[in-house]
Amino acid sequence: MAGKDKVYECLNPLGIQNPVDTFPLAPRLDTLDGKEIWLSITGEPDITIALEKKLKSDYPNVNWRQKKTYGIFPVQLTEEEMKTADGLIQAVCW
Amino acid sequence: MPYLAKLEKAGIPTVLVDLADQHNMVSQEAMVSGVPKIRHLHASRMLPGPADVDQWIKPLLDALTRPLTDEEKATGRWEIPQQRVLFTGTLEEAEEFYQQTQYVPHPVNANISVYTDGFPIVIPTEERVQKMLKGTSHKADELIRLAEDLPPYIGAMGRATKKGEPVLFHPLKRTATVEKVAINAVMAGCKPEHLPVVLAIAQSGCSISTTNFPSQAVCLSGPIVKEIGLNVGVGHLGPGSPVNGPIGRSYQLMAVNLSGATPGINRMGCHGNPMNNGGMCFGENADRLPPGWDGLNVEAGFEKKESVVMVMQTFGGIVGSQFSPGGYRALQKSGHGGIARRFGVKGQPGPHNWLNYIVPGIWVGREGGATIIMVPELAQHLVDLGFKTKDQVYDWLWKKSFEPLRDYRNRSWPDFARNGWIGIEKTSGKPWKELADDYMVPAAGDDPFQSCVIVAGGDEEAAVEIHGGRGECFSIDYWR
Repeated sequence: MAGKDKVYECLNPLGIQNPVDTFPLAPRLDTLDGKEIWLSITGEPDITIALEKKLKSDYPNVNWRQKKTYGIFPVQLTEEEMKTADGLIQAVCW
Repeated sequence: MPYLAKLEKAGIPTVLVDLADQHNMVSQEAMVSGVPKIRHLHASRMLPGPADVDQWIKPLLDALTRPLTDEEKATGRWEIPQQRVLFTGTLEEAEEFYQQTQYVPHPVNANISVYTDGFPIVIPTEERVQKMLKGTSHKADELIRLAEDLPPYIGAMGRATKKGEPVLFHPLKRTATVEKVAINAVMAGCKPEHLPVVLAIAQSGCSISTTNFPSQAVCLSGPIVKEIGLNVGVGHLGPGSPVNGPIGRSYQLMAVNLSGATPGINRMGCHGNPMNNGGMCFGENADRLPPGWDGLNVEAGFEKKESVVMVMQTFGGIVGSQFSPGGYRALQKSGHGGIARRFGVKGQPGPHNWLNYIVPGIWVGREGGATIIMVPELAQHLVDLGFKTKDQVYDWLWKKSFEPLRDYRNRSWPDFARNGWIGIEKTSGKPWKELADDYMVPAAGDDPFQSCVIVAGGDEEAAVEIHGGRGECFSIDYWR
């Protein structure tokens, strides 16, 4: 076959993406009242200070707890804290 | 995101706040972490905090209480086709295939190449890849693993750090075999003798960082420089070399294909960085290192006879020393010209410390270590001034960077880097918040060794500075 028309097998440059098992979200809460909700702050104090203030003033029946860093990696709940945590808000990052 | 996935899996409902333009990135990371439907909403980039929070605080809390949809309750498995042969056809057809694009909406709003850096590539035919694989003794199906332990590094999220661990190419946490690296090396235009270098680069995981203005580069040190004919002379950072160019490009192609880096989806450098356009590979001119100055290989704990590649994550662009034609020579030969006037050495022959001309400008806009690439003559003048080792240069630069804490606090990054000023300032051993405003702190970071000196380039007296850059060195010899 002439060079121009020769057929080649061309290989895949993409990295190997291992399959990911996806799982359901945790069941949601029936109410926030009386619940222990963590605010996990990752930077952006201009937003998170206002958020924390409003959460505490507008939702006084929630047991608000807080973890805070200026960085992008959240300060994680300990295994003990996870036992009593009812929910978590992560802001502003992922 | 793995943290939020862990919480959701443990039965703790979560919701996250991000920014609208990062929606694609959050969605992709959620999928890779196994929680594709994680609930998130967007804060404003411009509204003041209280007004911004008012807009979404109810939806935020609603996300913790609103019952799950069927989609959110579903389990499943995400996998993508992994065929070894991606395309069969003529070279002309293949060129069109590999140049295919996808439209990336806001914040890009343009077509982005799927398999390339935007430029045409060498088509990775089976024959070409087999030929490339002759450049290493390692088997094609060998998984890329770390050959040595690495220190934890905040800039590369969740990367492998222990010897023997598979290298994860972020942000998609993919893995790669020797053959996968060889395919990308072919596409970049590399030759088989370049493959050990490209494999060593692959050990870094080819991070691309996310937001802001990051760039990547690789610097070779050791006998490999001469073996493969790397240009370490005039124009070594520019175009023209069939060695520097393809090896530099291989990093960017591996970032695209092995890591999955895509502008607007997970590569969020707001302007991109021209240093990444085509990639950047350069090397150290070991023959012109002044006596007493170690090469990068020795600085990294390797022997002089060993070949390594330093993988550099840098910030911003390149700033040149900008000496006028003959201006530098006038300073050193006879103490004339503008630099001599600035230094107050009019009429006094050198050597004079030319580094004084570029500091404190190095740290005007950014803190931390800097990489200074200097031509051999500039290095020799530093030796003549008494800098018998590179470490002495690093120490001098570091001390020159000290400034009052009041000024350091007025910079952008330290709020973040110093974690809101919680913790201990290292030179004093005292809490940051207890230090006086006039206490002097180093803008160049906590460790003088964060800076990096590389000797390369032509004869014209010049140096260039890049922010950051001191990165890990990976053995090239391991991959021969």
